[in-house]
This record gives sequence, structure tokens and C-alpha cells, in this order.
Amino acid sequence: MSNTLAPSAVQALKGAYKGVFKISVMLVAAYLAAQWLSSILPAADYRSLPLLGNRTAVWIIAELHLMFAAFVLGVPIFAFITEIIGVATKEKRYDDLAREFTKLLAMAYTLTAVLGCLLLVLFIVLYPKFTSYLSKLFKPTWLLYIVLIFGEVVIAYLYWYTWDVLQGAKKYWHLFIGVMVNLFGTALLFVADIWVTFMMSPAGIDDAGNLTSLWAAINNHTWMPINIHRLLANVAFGGAIAAAYAAVRFLNAKTEEERARFDWMGYVGSFIAIAAFIPLPFAGYWLGREIYQFSEQMGVSMMGGGFSWLWILQAMLIGSLFLASNFYLWLGMGRIPGAERYAKFQVPMMILLTIGFIVWATPRSIMATSAEMAAMGGSHHPFLGLFGVMAAKHTAVNLMILTTFFSFMLYRRGNRIPAVPWAATAKVVQALVIAAAAAVVLGYGVYSYYVPSNIRIKFSIYQVAAVLTAMAVFVAVDIPMLKGAKEFGAIRWGQIPARAQYALFFLAISFTWLMGLMGYIRSGIRQHWHVYGRVADESVNAYTMTHGHATLIVSGITIVFFLLVSVVFYLAARQDREPA
Amino acid sequence: MKITFLKIFAFVLVVVGTYAYVGQLVPQFEEHPPAKQVITVQTPPQELASIGEELLRTKGGCLICHKVTDAGNERGPDLRHTVREAAKRKPGMDVEEYLTESIVTPDAFIVPGYPKMMPSALKPPANLNMAEVKAVVAYLQSLGGTDITAKVQAADIAAAKAAGPMHRGKELMGQYGCVGCHKIEGEGGKIGPELTKTAANHAPAELMRKIIDPTAWITPGFPPGIMPADLGNTVPEGDRHEIVAYLAGLSGKSYSATGAASPWSHEGVRLGLVILVFNLGMIAALLIAGRRVKKMESV
Repeated sequence: MSNTLAPSAVQALKGAYKGVFKISVMLVAAYLAAQWLSSILPAADYRSLPLLGNRTAVWIIAELHLMFAAFVLGVPIFAFITEIIGVATKEKRYDDLAREFTKLLAMAYTLTAVLGCLLLVLFIVLYPKFTSYLSKLFKPTWLLYIVLIFGEVVIAYLYWYTWDVLQGAKKYWHLFIGVMVNLFGTALLFVADIWVTFMMSPAGIDDAGNLTSLWAAINNHTWMPINIHRLLANVAFGGAIAAAYAAVRFLNAKTEEERARFDWMGYVGSFIAIAAFIPLPFAGYWLGREIYQFSEQMGVSMMGGGFSWLWILQAMLIGSLFLASNFYLWLGMGRIPGAERYAKFQVPMMILLTIGFIVWATPRSIMATSAEMAAMGGSHHPFLGLFGVMAAKHTAVNLMILTTFFSFMLYRRGNRIPAVPWAATAKVVQALVIAAAAAVVLGYGVYSYYVPSNIRIKFSIYQVAAVLTAMAVFVAVDIPMLKGAKEFGAIRWGQIPARAQYALFFLAISFTWLMGLMGYIRSGIRQHWHVYGRVADESVNAYTMTHGHATLIVSGITIVFFLLVSVVFYLAARQDREPA
Repeated sequence: MKITFLKIFAFVLVVVGTYAYVGQLVPQFEEHPPAKQVITVQTPPQELASIGEELLRTKGGCLICHKVTDAGNERGPDLRHTVREAAKRKPGMDVEEYLTESIVTPDAFIVPGYPKMMPSALKPPANLNMAEVKAVVAYLQSLGGTDITAKVQAADIAAAKAAGPMHRGKELMGQYGCVGCHKIEGEGGKIGPELTKTAANHAPAELMRKIIDPTAWITPGFPPGIMPADLGNTVPEGDRHEIVAYLAGLSGKSYSATGAASPWSHEGVRLGLVILVFNLGMIAALLIAGRRVKKMESV
């Protein structure tokens, strides 16, 4: 340890210990509070929380905890990637950006821990019988979880506090800490998913609920799909929230330099959000398939039963996300000299996205009066009903993904003119690849109507494969083609209308609301079971509420989340005035 | 700055409000868990069919794939015609036998034109017992307009009772060796008193006290000092509650197995140890680093 490093190492250790101490106090307080409340309240299988009720209270706290957890697990992933880009390109602005992302974490960790401890108390006090059952079943994993929490806190704080110290030749040590933060974070996510997914798709227990295989209980049908789905969603969510932070700072910026800095940060945040968001539907298909494999009944009630209408809401949200992200890119092209060449594509792309949105949000069956049903000839509209099936929806979403990708590629080459002699041929190849993918998607989409469902479901794989292949080929051609490209001029960072920042807020709000909705569907499809098909929920809350009621709760959670996040933003902004 | 925050927050409210409003536009309905049905050997056929209809619509989840009216689902065969078709499905098998088989082991015969996708109704999530399966058969018979022949037998009811609850008291009494001396539900030793109906004469709190301190009271006719004196330390608090809940259940009483675990329970001690290790580790690291800094400063 060098002379200069040693005092900084002490500072970093002090910072990390502050984190450990905070978590220790919170855990001890939560544990003692839960035990004290359990000892003074009468023994019962369920206890009732006045006013809010058990389910709503647990729902709100669990969802808020999950949102902050998603943020603190997602941000280090792309902060680390940004840091690596900084090392590879030797551009300091990437390192600064990664540091700016990481700055958001400290307060968010504290809020995640407070909410987690509160949730633990609620579980133990309000659902003592079920919590006791689950904790006995997964005894070794609880301990591992606590160890991982402490490990994550120590390493994450070290990651932040050593940023300025571990520069230059020591940068690789900082990158190593970054790897460790993400490994611990991912492990935490995977352990927490064990309990959640076991409740959805139990395995490893006998008919009486006794454990027969811990590994089978862990590695249940939905564990790995949810792990991957959440990992991607965390990055998308973290990116969206970081972009919203940049938007706030942009709108409050006092200098051109500050505006340029946060404009760029907002762009990178939104790019991360959309890039991680694009593969999410594919991870979702995998999860859906596993749910069907675990229980046809659960799958059917999720997609075709009482929950099917929530997928229409999901389509509305994702459609809005696609529109908003393209809108942001198109506004951003205004600050790119030369990008006006591509303005002609915007209207056709918007039309395509709007049509895709409408198709995706078309319900298959419509709640109608008997007179309306008689007029339609059934519960399905004779024409619109055709667009409400998965054949049309898969086609729509794949075309929307392709359009958004194309939009981003145009943005990317906005101020550049390829200098390589084979540029014209390359552009033809790129156009053909996009056209071929669109043809495959459309072709299989139409063909889907003529084959049974068990064959049709496989077509979605071909559609997805076509889109992914087109994207990969396009990028593979684009990178060498734009090497040494001539530039119309530098991007004028900071010169973007304020409404573009509202597009970033819109992305963050929609991602948050969407996360709340999908969390409700995931949990709600267990219906009146704590553990699906095995441990019944015998409380007064064991019913599926109306969609309207559920969406009001999701909305309330979203508003509370943004209130809390504004505190995180405020504290992060304040840190600018203080040394790291 | 304040104005910007207010504007942003107003924007949050507008977007969230719009989503919440759209949420009110989709069809609204509540789904309640199936009511518990009491089926006995004496349940009359029409009542059995009525219970069967309720089970088919709720606990069985049959209407997710089948239909009983024109407007239902068509993933599986139309249940209005099952009785008519059942007689022709398998030679030598009558309607009741066929319907029972198709509910209990659906893969035994797949109706042409439909995929193999139905889980056994005896398995989760439907989790019907045989008495309930017979009720569903009775309903299908009444739906098909034939006589209800399905009859619940005593064995079907017994099987229904055998579906175990979540409490692990019985298993724990084996694990802690209680059955070595006590007879419970016809099994176990004779050194101590039979415990099958002990909760009829002792309140749960008394039973709990007996486990913690075996000398608390002695059943007349049995010698003292046989039960291990340290039983209270051997059996953790959570498990004691489970055992009391099990014994209470055998006497037809209900008792929640979940009381408060002591902060000094195994879980509490483990949590404390992890906290201690991390705190001590960090303090040690700080001390070592601090010493090195001082050393360097002095050099």
C-alpha cells in the first residue's frame, strides 16, 4: 500500500463500515420488533393490520422494496460496463458517467434495506404460520441471504469510496471490485427469487408440504426464467431511473456544460433502458413457457383467464414505451448535424409503431351485452377479433422492436458519412436484412392463422430469431462501415428541447408502473394459494381483486416510489458540492 | 428548482393517473376462493351434483378449458356432451367409470382432436379428493340429462381427511422421540400416557408448559422423572408450538402453531453471529489500516 493510498483506504473502509453498521442496526431492530410484536399479539395463523389490511400493506412495501432493489442491482451492472468502456476508450467522460451512476446508489441502498426490514416484520407478524413454514423449508438460504447482503454492502461501498483512489495503474483493482459487486448482487437476486418462484411453481415437497429435495425446491420451473427476466428488467429499470435523474439535472442545469453533461447521461441511461428492454419479451416468453409446463391451468388462467385483460394494459404500456423512446431519439436527432437526412423516415416509422401499438392492445374477446354479442355473432368481434390473437400480437411486437432498432441505427449514424468504398453495398445488405426480417415476421404472422396453436407457438421463435439475426447482421456491417467515417460536425450535447426530458420521465414512470403491474400478475396468478396448489391462503384476503382496484394500488406505489426517488435524486445532486 | 420539481411531479401524476384510469376501463370482476363443501356418504344425488357444479367452476378450474354453455372455452371438449359420448368412448366401461377415469387420469384416453394437456384433478392445483371427483361426475351426469349414479363411499371421505395440513407436529413428535414412550393415533410406546386425546383435558398453554418443564405436572399413574428434564432446550420454541397444534387438532381443537420465537432461538443466534462477524471483521480491517497509516506517518 503506498503512502497516498493508505489514508484513502481507511476512508473507504470507514465508508463501508458505515454501511455495515446501518444494516446491522436495521436487521437487529427488525428482528427484535418482529419478535416483540409476535409475543404481545395473540397466536394466530393470520393477524390483521388495521386500515390498509395485510395484503395491501405487504404488497406496497414488497413492491417498493423490489423497485429499489432492482435499481441498486441494475445500476452497478451498467455502471461497471460504462467504466470498462472508459478504460477501453481511455475517455474520461465514461469514467465520470459511471461514477455519476454509482453516486445514486448510497441512499438507494439505505431505502432498500429499510423497506426490506419493514417487509420482514410484516411477514413475521401478519403471516406467522406461512412465514414459519417457508423459513423452515428454506432455512439454509436465509442465512446465505444475510451473508450476501453484508457482502454486497461492504463491496458496493468500497466500489464507491475507492473510485478516485483506484485510478491509473490501480484501475484494474477497481474493476475487480465492480465485478464482485455485480456477482454479489446477482447472487442476492437469485436467492430472493428462490422463495418467490417456489410459491409460484413449487417443487421438492411431498403432498403434505414436507421438503423432499432442497435443490428441487430451489431449481423449480420458474426460478431460472425469473432470474434472467429480472436481471434484464433491473438493468432496463435502472437505466430508465438514471435517465430520469439526468433529466432532472438537465432541467435544473445552470450552465451549458452542465446541460451537455446531463443530456449525454440521459441519452446513455435511456439507451441502456431500451437496449435491456428489447430482449425482455423473449425472456418473458421463456418464463411463460415454463409456467405452462409447470401448470397448464396456471398458464391458461394467466393468458386466457381472469388475468388476460391485464396483458392489454401491458400492451398499452409497452406500446407507449416504444413510442416515447422513438420520440426521444427523433428529438435527439435535432442536436446531430446531418441527421435531418433521416427525418423522412420518422413519419412512416411512427405509423408503423402506432399500428403495432393498436394491434398489440386489441383484446381477443370483448365484454359485451347479449344484444352486442348477438350483433357480433359471439364474444369475438368478427374483424377486430382477428387482431386480438397472439399471431397478430407477436407480429406487431417484433415489427415494433425492429422499427425501434432501425430508429436507433439512424440516430447512431446521424452525423456520419461512411468513408469505406463498399459503403453502398453494405447499405443494400442492411436494407435487405431488415426487409427479410420484416418479411419473415409478417409471413409467419399470417401463416399462424392457418395452423393449430401447438404449431403456431413455435413460429414466435422463428420471428424472434429473424429479428435478432437482422439486428446482429446490421450492427456487424455498421461498425466497420462507420470506421473512419466523415463527420458533419460534433453532436451538440445540451441542445435538446425540454420536452425530450419529459420523454425520459415518461419512460421512467411507465417502466415503474409496468413493473408494478407485472409483479401483480406474477403474484396474482397464484390466486387463493400461498404456494400454488399446495398451501392455501386461508386469510380474508384470499381472493383476486378487480383489475381496477389492483391498478389503483399499482398507481399509488408508483407515486410513492417517485417521491422516495426524488429524495435519492436530491441527495445525489447535493453530493456534487461535497468531495467523494 | 422547486418549480421544476413541481412540474415533474405534476407530470408523474398525469401519466400515472392516465394508466390508473385505463385500468378502470377493462372488465372488473373479483374471483373468490372456492367455498369448502361438506360431502358425506348421505349427501343426496342432487345436492352432490350441485356441489360438483361449484367444484367444476371454482376449485377444479375446469372451465378454463371446457365449456358448459355456448360462450365458454373450447380447449377441451364441450362438457354438455360428455355423458352422451362417454358411453361410446371405451368398450366395457360405463359412463360413470369413464368420467371418473377422465378426471383422475385424463391421459388414459385423449378425445380425438384435442391436445394432451389436462392434469389429473387429484393433483395440484385442482387437488380434488375422490369425494369431490364423484361430485363432479354427478354434476356431469345431471348436465347430460341422465340419472345420477355417482355415489360417495366412506373410503372417499377417509381419503379426503388424509390430505395433510401444513403443521408438522406429528413428524416432529417422531423426530424428538416422543412416540418412543407415548402412544399417539394408535402408534408408540406405553411408558408414558397416551397423547391422542390429551388436549381434550389440557389447554394448549398447559401442554406447552409440560414440554418446557416435564416436571410441571405428572399424569396420575405414571412415574415422574422419565421425561428428559432438558426437553425445553432440545425442542425449539417454533417446534413446540407445532406439536401443541398437532395434539390440539387430534382433540378437535384449533391452535395456531405460530407463537413468538424467542430472540435467542436458533434463527436469532445465527442472525446475531453473522452481524457480529461482519462488524468485527470491518472493525479489525479499520484498525489494521489505521495502524499502517500511523506507522507510515511516523516514518
